Amino acid sequence: MAQAAPLVRELLCGDLQQPITALAWSADGEFLAIASAGGELLLLDFRAGCEELLRGDHDNSLDVIGFSADGQFLMAAGQGGEVLLWELGGTGVRPLAMDPMPLGCGWIDAAAWQPGGQLLSVAAGREVRLWDGGSRQWREQPLTMPGTIQALTWSADGVQLAASCHGELVLWQPCLDTPLDPPLRHAIGSAGLALAFSRLGHHLACGLLDRSLLLWPQECQGQPWQFSGFPAKVRQLAWSDQPGRLAPLLASASAEAVILWTQVQQGSKAWQPEPLLWHEKRVNALAFAPGSTLLASASSDATVALWDGRGRLMQPIEGQGAGFNSLAWRRDGRHLAAGDAQGRWWLWPVSVPVRERQRSSAGSGFG
Amino acid sequence: MAFSSAVPAGERLPVTVLTGYLGAGKTTLLNRILTHEHGLKVAVIVNEFGEVGIDNQLVIDADEEIFEMNNGCICCTVRGDLIRIIGNLMKRRDRFDHLVIETTGLADPAPVIQTFFVDEDLRDELRLDAVVTLVDLKHVEQHWDTEEVQEQLAFADVLVLNKSDLVDESALLAIERRVRAINPVARMLTSENADVPMQHLLGVEAFELERALSLDPGFLVDEHAHEHDDAVGSLALVEERPMDLDKLGSWISDLVSSRGPDLFRMKGIIQLAGKNERYVLQSVHMLIDGDFDRPWKLGERRRTEFVIIGRDLDADGLRAGFHACVA
Repeated sequence: MAQAAPLVRELLCGDLQQPITALAWSADGEFLAIASAGGELLLLDFRAGCEELLRGDHDNSLDVIGFSADGQFLMAAGQGGEVLLWELGGTGVRPLAMDPMPLGCGWIDAAAWQPGGQLLSVAAGREVRLWDGGSRQWREQPLTMPGTIQALTWSADGVQLAASCHGELVLWQPCLDTPLDPPLRHAIGSAGLALAFSRLGHHLACGLLDRSLLLWPQECQGQPWQFSGFPAKVRQLAWSDQPGRLAPLLASASAEAVILWTQVQQGSKAWQPEPLLWHEKRVNALAFAPGSTLLASASSDATVALWDGRGRLMQPIEGQGAGFNSLAWRRDGRHLAAGDAQGRWWLWPVSVPVRERQRSSAGSGFG
Repeated sequence: MAFSSAVPAGERLPVTVLTGYLGAGKTTLLNRILTHEHGLKVAVIVNEFGEVGIDNQLVIDADEEIFEMNNGCICCTVRGDLIRIIGNLMKRRDRFDHLVIETTGLADPAPVIQTFFVDEDLRDELRLDAVVTLVDLKHVEQHWDTEEVQEQLAFADVLVLNKSDLVDESALLAIERRVRAINPVARMLTSENADVPMQHLLGVEAFELERALSLDPGFLVDEHAHEHDDAVGSLALVEERPMDLDKLGSWISDLVSSRGPDLFRMKGIIQLAGKNERYVLQSVHMLIDGDFDRPWKLGERRRTEFVIIGRDLDADGLRAGFHACVA
């Protein structure tokens, strides 16, 4: 990690033709992939100091991208309804495009690689499909849901996969499940739009269309807490990877309101909300810096805000006047990438205050 | 629930909803919209993939999915697939200037319409321009009793009576009368091969209050209910005396809370006591919107005209309730 730091010592930015829809870092922080609503896909290779446009003059939006945990593959999917994969040969090696895999399911906007594993989960209409990077095959048994899948996420250990649609949230252990051990299906009162597992404690949060939030306790055991009264649908969620007194910090975004949630006790009044007021328009992305409690929020109001773990605004960052669509922290927690609605991507070096980091040295050894 | 947005109409993307029973000519009309030189960049969301295919045009397939927001009441249903797909599409807002949504032949148009007023994002980013319903003149008689056909007629702002070359004059007039009994407020066009002037389809602004009423002047000569065998019908109400806004408001809100699922659309121009401006009002099921629009013109006939389109309307009860709102 240390040798890569000088590469992004200065603020970097660049432009794609169309609004940025997604950003993803490789696990080693050597690559950053950037996708646009015009279907462009740009790969930055920091060690080699070069960039390559993997996909250019298409008119089909790409909406979800990601690197496999081992860095072997880069995935992209979107409007075309097909999964695109590139095989990466390491820094300085030209990525090799594999044959596109059409799934016949319409627009794909949710897909995720298994942490620490080789499975790629893709929300294909009402099915969760799994592609195995080891065998390079699709697994035979997809998970079927009663509605179009709106969100998809893996637990940090790569064991559990959560998916949500209108009316149902499913917890699935695709590597363990046998017919005797079927996926766990929870009925939910609305459509689950956002899902996030905490790295520590394995809590699950689900943001819903009906302006509410569901929060499952540690290890997803028992009944979820339900919070309602949000100003709008709850569309973004992020957990800090730092330990809290009980659960780690959770951030939620609903319209222009970001709320920081702290668990203060067990039982019914367990969570304390702290509204973070700054943004004037819809918040489109939320991300905690790895290894700290620093939170970044990106908004249509053309700012990215940095907040400390108590919800104090540390620094607003302004772009070029266009709304920000997406955010991604490099794993070192020192570099933040953002993409805006005019196609500009930004890379900011961030000095995380010591106070926000000190918890990590006192923590449970992550980082 | 009101259905106006805080965002000015001019900044929102206009949406045309295209309905019509199976075989009425929706695909033909869509292809006309996509190929016509109207100077608009049109994005289209279709349900039957593969039938519409024009190079360089944005055509997106959607899988019709109804979200029941609350106890399964029709007034609270929206199209979840549209929320998701339009959300994705709106990132490229500058790439197109009109959106057309084709519904399946068997669809109830209400959830589509309600999606644009209920969903917080769509309400601020789009505006419903008009509901266009195609009627198959040759075959509509066979499907007349289906709920879908009657709902599609009831919700229309523009009715296109298509395939006029396949029926004779008297059949056309009979269907026209029957359609008018259900929906007296829609603009009615007759076409062969879905060939209709684009300016009557796109940019109609039927959901903007100032354009809410395009009543056939002859229709409101006298107050009357259109009697027919059909369960769906309409009732036109006229009141020469000025009305009281509070009375009218509570009558309408009571009405929609008790009869909402059966009241498809209401439109009215209201003469209020002590006001020099017209008050215009419209509703879709339980969504109601009303505002002052413009001063009454010199020589304009000052009176209240109110049209209700719905199922199993109790004409006497509605008439009594309406006239009780006189100031």
